Amino acid sequence: MTILLGLLYVLAAAGGGCVALIRDPRRQVMAISANGVVLALLFLALRAPDVAYSEIVVGGAALPLLFLVTLASARARSQDR
Amino acid sequence: MSPRLRVVLLAGSFAVLAVPAWRTMQALPRFGHHALPYGDAINAAAPKQRHVTNMVSAVNFDYRGVDTLGEETMLLAAVTGTAVLLRGQREGGERDRLGPPRPHGGRSEAIVLASRIAAPFTFLFGLYVALHAMVTPGGGFQGGLVMATALLWVFLGDGHLAWGRLVRTGWVDACEGMGVAAYAAAGLGTMLAGGAFLQNVLPRGALKSMLSGGLMQVLNAAVALAVVAGFLTLFVEFLKETAGLQGETE
Repeated sequence: MTILLGLLYVLAAAGGGCVALIRDPRRQVMAISANGVVLALLFLALRAPDVAYSEIVVGGAALPLLFLVTLASARARSQDR
Repeated sequence: MSPRLRVVLLAGSFAVLAVPAWRTMQALPRFGHHALPYGDAINAAAPKQRHVTNMVSAVNFDYRGVDTLGEETMLLAAVTGTAVLLRGQREGGERDRLGPPRPHGGRSEAIVLASRIAAPFTFLFGLYVALHAMVTPGGGFQGGLVMATALLWVFLGDGHLAWGRLVRTGWVDACEGMGVAAYAAAGLGTMLAGGAFLQNVLPRGALKSMLSGGLMQVLNAAVALAVVAGFLTLFVEFLKETAGLQGETE
């Protein structure tokens, strides 16, 4: 269990670092999504399944989707001009 | 400020902060331990008082039920704000409804099949999580989120048309409002029955039964309805923004 927790901490830190360091917005969104899944697993390992449910849906799917749609919409509007 | 000076400043502040930070970390409670009596009190009291085994639900829907009413209202306000903003921008424009389906040459049959298999099971799982709020981890909020995601599978696998047949915007809007209204009405109902606002006046049922918890069942259902509808509204409004787009990725 300690090894699993340590691994998840390292993954969460690496994922967060990736989100901050990646420059291309679309790849950044994918990194946010992956980081959300890692955080959900970490919450599950820390015995907080309620938060894990919310995190895996909101952080893993809903938030990246809204970001992706916003990026696509913004790109289309800048092409219209 | 030159990069060199920045590095010197960074090293200096690390050196100054290292000792106090280390001492603070040493003084923290050990990992996994806490000094807060509230959780222990709830763990001891809730099974006897409320006949539930999921303490998070007991706190959310009973002991701190008024706070959840506030959170529900916040969700409603946020979703309404988003909808007003996005619908207002599209007013009368051709983007006001989901347009004709784009020829999705890139969507493989594997994705369509996987989505069609995953969607009903995801929905069923969300329903399970929402229904067992009193017994196992999860509840109306988490279950509602999972159910809303199930309908995203439909969008991923079958696109606009199937989505539009399944999700009627007017019905979703009504559900969103009714979920929050039902929560508030339940509180007023307990006052009519002679109790305080949101006091748990219903019979509590048997411990470890899916239908235990009394009034918490009603509140849980109201939250589930509001969350499903709220997130669906968000998804629909944002996805309508992409209708008719022709990016280089499609």
